[in-house]
Amino acid sequence: MKKHEIICKDVMEHICENLGEQLDSPKCAAIKAHLNNCNNCSNYFKTVEDTIQFYKNYNVELPEGAHKRLIEFLGLTE
Amino acid sequence: MEETELIEQAKLGDKKSLAELVKKYESTVYNFSFKICRDKDRAENTMQETFLSLVKNIRQFKGDSKLSTWLYTVVSNHCLMLARTESKHAYTSFEDEDASIDEKKFTDWSVTPDKAAEDKELKKLLDDSIAKLHPDYRVVFLLRDVEGISTEETAKICNLSVPAVKSRLHRARAFLRNELSKKFNYEKT
Repeated sequence: MKKHEIICKDVMEHICENLGEQLDSPKCAAIKAHLNNCNNCSNYFKTVEDTIQFYKNYNVELPEGAHKRLIEFLGLTE
Repeated sequence: MEETELIEQAKLGDKKSLAELVKKYESTVYNFSFKICRDKDRAENTMQETFLSLVKNIRQFKGDSKLSTWLYTVVSNHCLMLARTESKHAYTSFEDEDASIDEKKFTDWSVTPDKAAEDKELKKLLDDSIAKLHPDYRVVFLLRDVEGISTEETAKICNLSVPAVKSRLHRARAFLRNELSKKFNYEKT
């Protein structure tokens, strides 16, 4: 297997590109190994994941009366 | 009644089936629309326009994709159109490929994502940060990462290639992470 020289910037770019997807290429294996030994990159990885989670957790409820207004707007009242 | 049956009935003009489809997806559509627009009135207006498109075009819906995918496409297009007709906003430019990754010393954040649901100040920070992101990038980030739609589906919805989706996603994630980090102010330069 070709040896991959990994620097933090490669890791960050790769994390951003592939977060949440399968990481099984030789380059990914090298990146995983780097991640395990580099606090800087694992912090970066964690904060990118947290960023996504912040936005996932921020949800809004349908405002009061919005359903009724929508049904009326569409002419679907019974 | 199953969704496919509701769609078939709606195609025949059954208002009750249409109303059921609307009820099933209204929260998803409103929530997604809010996440792009970051404004409750605009989100409601976009939701209404999206379902109006559904009512008008349900007969043309062939079922090649899921109804939810079709709705995401319509919401995204409405929001993008709205953003383009507005006066020019100072969105962050991504012309410089390397600008999105700033090689500092990264530290973990002490603020955790579970606070996003109730903390008003944090919500404002999330709103302000994503508002700086161009809507074309915002939509990709929201579809892929927040709604959990696959890269391929996101590409279809946005009419982009898969590499273009990955590129926009990479820049959007890095940008938002950097924005939040600046505000959390925990990084050493």
